[in-house]
Amino acid sequence: MPAKPDISARQSHVPGPISLSLPVLLFLGGCATSPLAKHTAEFATATNAVVDSSEGAYRAAVRLHDDEQLSAAVQKYDSYQPWDPHSIKHLIDARGLDARTDILDGLKTYAQTLADLTNGGHSDSLDAAATAVGNNLKQMSAAFNPDSTTPPSGFSITPVQANAVSTALKALGDFLANQKVKSSVPKIIRDMDPQIAVLSNLLNSDINILRRQSNDDYEQLLMQQDTFIRKSGQDLSPIERRAEIKRLGQIILRKEATDDMLRQLQATIKSLAETHHALATAAQSKDTASLSERIAELLATAERLNHFYDSLPTT
Amino acid sequence: MDATVLQKPTTIDAYQALYDTLGRAYWDASTIDAKDLIQGARESIYDIITELDEAQLDANTTALLALQPKIEDTNAALKKIKDSINEITKNINTATTVIGAISKVVAITAPLL
Repeated sequence: MPAKPDISARQSHVPGPISLSLPVLLFLGGCATSPLAKHTAEFATATNAVVDSSEGAYRAAVRLHDDEQLSAAVQKYDSYQPWDPHSIKHLIDARGLDARTDILDGLKTYAQTLADLTNGGHSDSLDAAATAVGNNLKQMSAAFNPDSTTPPSGFSITPVQANAVSTALKALGDFLANQKVKSSVPKIIRDMDPQIAVLSNLLNSDINILRRQSNDDYEQLLMQQDTFIRKSGQDLSPIERRAEIKRLGQIILRKEATDDMLRQLQATIKSLAETHHALATAAQSKDTASLSERIAELLATAERLNHFYDSLPTT
Repeated sequence: MDATVLQKPTTIDAYQALYDTLGRAYWDASTIDAKDLIQGARESIYDIITELDEAQLDANTTALLALQPKIEDTNAALKKIKDSINEITKNINTATTVIGAISKVVAITAPLL
């Protein structure tokens, strides 16, 4: 297999505009992403953290409240207040949990689709299609010129030229895709920004309630455990009594760990709203993009094309 | 009493402060009778706070349900953009197919050219 020609050798075979644009793009090539792509990636990361943690927090809070009711029922079982096991009421009913899961999943889809669109999520299929065009051109050239004994057919294309065609198609496809994204996505992000603010306020309100309710549920569990030890402790063996007293401390530790987790979740929700707002601001700056932002976008394009060109076979 | 008064944050905060105070009193109390008395009062406050929390969570559910169509519409709009970008790739694939078909014809007819 012949060695892959260096880039200057490639250019000498490349006709027209490719020969001018490619060196410029390759010269600019480096690690860079557009501001919009950077923000959408950050937003997708923040969203994943919020969605996964929130769903876990809702489930944990409902389970804790169920536990408190069961523990209270055990304590009251022999009292004058009859206990009906059907009376257990979940902190959030199925409708409420479904609404929260659906909206969080919708948010995840929104963030992921944004990240895909602005980070060249279409690139793999576009790369494959552009590469296939170049390969087929090489095959067509081979078909027209089966061997060196036949006279030239009039159609001939070198591997380097075929690669240049592939790269040009890739550049064109990327350009069209980017134009589509730039003309449509910023407005969607801007329109969504107030909704994200409302959603994060609602999630924050939910977490405030969960923090208060979890605190109180643990406090109830603590008192119920203490009452059990004081009233029934004499029927326990020393080892059993020791284990039950130890549980008081464990309840406190779980209470603190739960509150820490919920507090962190609130901070992440705040970060989600801020990140989306930064994203909306970046999207809004379409007409007033700074030179450095434009250069960053150009670098990102150049880098993608550079990788693509290098990945093409030279035979 | 007006139910909205009960749901005001200041009302819930006041109940929570009372609940916390009774909690400290429970651990300070030295007899089981005193502890039982405090626990009874604290449980009533706990029940009120729980009901207020559940009512607020229900109100949030309604607000979240109202927000849901907007997120669904936005996701539908983004999918439309994604589909139109996929169309670009599809067009390039069509070009590939045409070139491939030409190559096959040429390979078959080359001896005749």
